[in-house]
Amino acid sequence: MPSELSPSVQFILQLGLLIVFTRIGGYWLRRWFRLPGVIGELLVGVGIGPYALGKYSWPLVGRLFGLAADGGAVSPELYAVATFASIVLLFLSGLETDLSTFLRYSVAGTMVGLGGVLVSFALGAGCAVWLGLTESWLSPTALFLGATATATSVGISARILSERKKMDSPEGVTILAAAVFDDVLGIIVLAIVVGMVKSAASGGGIAWKDILLISIKAFGFWIGATAVGLLLARRFSKILKYFRSPQAIAALALGFALLLAGISEMAGLAMIIGAYIMGLSLSRTDLVQVIHKEIEGIQNILVPVFFATMGMMVNLSAIVPVLKIGLIYSLLAVLSKAVGCAFPALFCGFNRHGAMRIGVGMVPRGEVALIVAGIGLATGAIEQNVFGISVLMTLITTILGPLFLSGSFENPVSGLRKQPKDGEQMPQVEVELCFASPDMADFMRARIVKAFRQEEFYVYRLSPDTPSYHIRKDDMFFTLEHDGNSVVIRVPKVHETLARLIISEEMVLLRSMLQMGHGKANLDTMEHDLVSCLFTGNGQAQPNSEDEALPADEDE
Amino acid sequence: MNSKKPLTVETISLDLKGATKEEILSEMVDLLMASGHIRDREAVLRAITDRERRMSTGMQNGIAIPHGKTDNVDCLVAALGIKHEGIDFGALDGQPSTIFVMTVSPDSRTGPHIQFLAEVSRPLNDANVRAKILSATTREEVLQLVLG
Repeated sequence: MPSELSPSVQFILQLGLLIVFTRIGGYWLRRWFRLPGVIGELLVGVGIGPYALGKYSWPLVGRLFGLAADGGAVSPELYAVATFASIVLLFLSGLETDLSTFLRYSVAGTMVGLGGVLVSFALGAGCAVWLGLTESWLSPTALFLGATATATSVGISARILSERKKMDSPEGVTILAAAVFDDVLGIIVLAIVVGMVKSAASGGGIAWKDILLISIKAFGFWIGATAVGLLLARRFSKILKYFRSPQAIAALALGFALLLAGISEMAGLAMIIGAYIMGLSLSRTDLVQVIHKEIEGIQNILVPVFFATMGMMVNLSAIVPVLKIGLIYSLLAVLSKAVGCAFPALFCGFNRHGAMRIGVGMVPRGEVALIVAGIGLATGAIEQNVFGISVLMTLITTILGPLFLSGSFENPVSGLRKQPKDGEQMPQVEVELCFASPDMADFMRARIVKAFRQEEFYVYRLSPDTPSYHIRKDDMFFTLEHDGNSVVIRVPKVHETLARLIISEEMVLLRSMLQMGHGKANLDTMEHDLVSCLFTGNGQAQPNSEDEALPADEDE
Repeated sequence: MNSKKPLTVETISLDLKGATKEEILSEMVDLLMASGHIRDREAVLRAITDRERRMSTGMQNGIAIPHGKTDNVDCLVAALGIKHEGIDFGALDGQPSTIFVMTVSPDSRTGPHIQFLAEVSRPLNDANVRAKILSATTREEVLQLVLG
């Protein structure tokens, strides 16, 4: 590092390069290999980090991504940004949680989610013991490998389900409901693990009674904070609304999420737990969209930095000796979720095809796994090699999960054990709108989404890459998909009237927009104004009427 | 959601007097006034007629659902009116409209406004319910039929 670079300049350059490279890396992976962008972001981090290219000195910037002064893989400033990003991520994750749907499919979702969490944790922690990484099931290494294997990243599976048009299938809905349970339980597991590790670090050792106490404390904090949050959410949202401006509302909500994150850490739990609870509390208020829209920008920029920072912390040379263990751990992570979730599904009305789809749909791990592993590394609870194993597992499950899930739907056979008789299954209606052009379809897709939101539906875009949405409210569940010229909305027959009325209001608006003669005149004028200064030779705009004088004319 | 609360006995008419679409709309807005949540009657009528001008809300089987949005109402308001002889409301099936469900909701506030309209209209899909509404002798009876 050239001596003239101050720490602040170094940090700004690091951040800038990370933002640029993660965007490019994520884009390439998506575009060329149709892989989730997160893999590209992680690999960019690994490549740029202090254990790969970062250890070399480069022209102008020197060893910009070398080891930090304290010996850490990333500078404290960059780690702070990554922590902030993880808080934003979990806050938004809580905000997007659909408690109503979870409650509606709670039986199958809970069984599947619980099965996946228990088996994953047991095999993850067991792997550490069986393969000789540690001797005790209660050691930080075992606990963190168990916790890391626990949390599914359902966003990746949701994209596959959407592409296969299986979001509203029994398997799709069960995966989504199980993912909510999985998230909550995964975070509680993290809270318990962090508590146990902290207790061990303070010299107390870990006994079963300590685990019980820590579990009670974690559950207590979780249930207490969530209950208070949900109870006060409406009052809190009223206070936020007092400030009227969406920016102020979102900033205050995020500010309180950070405060609760800090309190959560002070209570001996991880910061992301507080952030998640804050998001969850606000998830049932009508401020969800406002907050989400305003904070999404921060998420889009900083979350790739988080993944890259996690990648930077991977010491490739530390993984090599444990690569075999890492591959076994990754394989067990795939199997544990697939089996742990598929088995309970067999008792929830699914046959082996349906159970297998649910199992593989729960395989991908993502942000929560990395956050857990990152906390482990930062607190010194796990070593570089264990952290590397966790990242390897995240990469492998993120690649294999979508492949398996997509393949599992190749065979179109029903996933249900007993085919619903006529009248038992809630009949679905498909409302298909074909527009004159993809642009018009896109415009109407946006209008219809807005119209549902105005009716206080919870509308969730499944992934930034695919224009597919889940539209939910109470016991209503619709899907919306936009492809080329068409927009397709699938609704249960019983709610068809509502969907048709909402859509028809937007169609009325579109028609009146197209028919407005006066509006067309305005469009003509605006269009003329916009292009009148183009290709004029001297670069000066042409006046479009006698009474409109350009400043240049005034000067003359 | 207690979605049908905006519809009360006070905002139901068993015998609308109007003979034209405009007269029926005006009479229905008068019914809405009973809710006590309308600040400007003319603005509400204008919102309804504007919407009606874009596309008629006359549906099939004698049902019409005139509605509109304006910030001149405090909250969602609703009325139901019956015109036994029926009037030409520009219905989809060309038949005279006999049962009118009117809703007006605040323009700048989100809420289950169309959901309310859909829920109130749902029982009207049933020919028996329509027949019972048309032969009802009390407003309470109509309210009961619509509330299901």
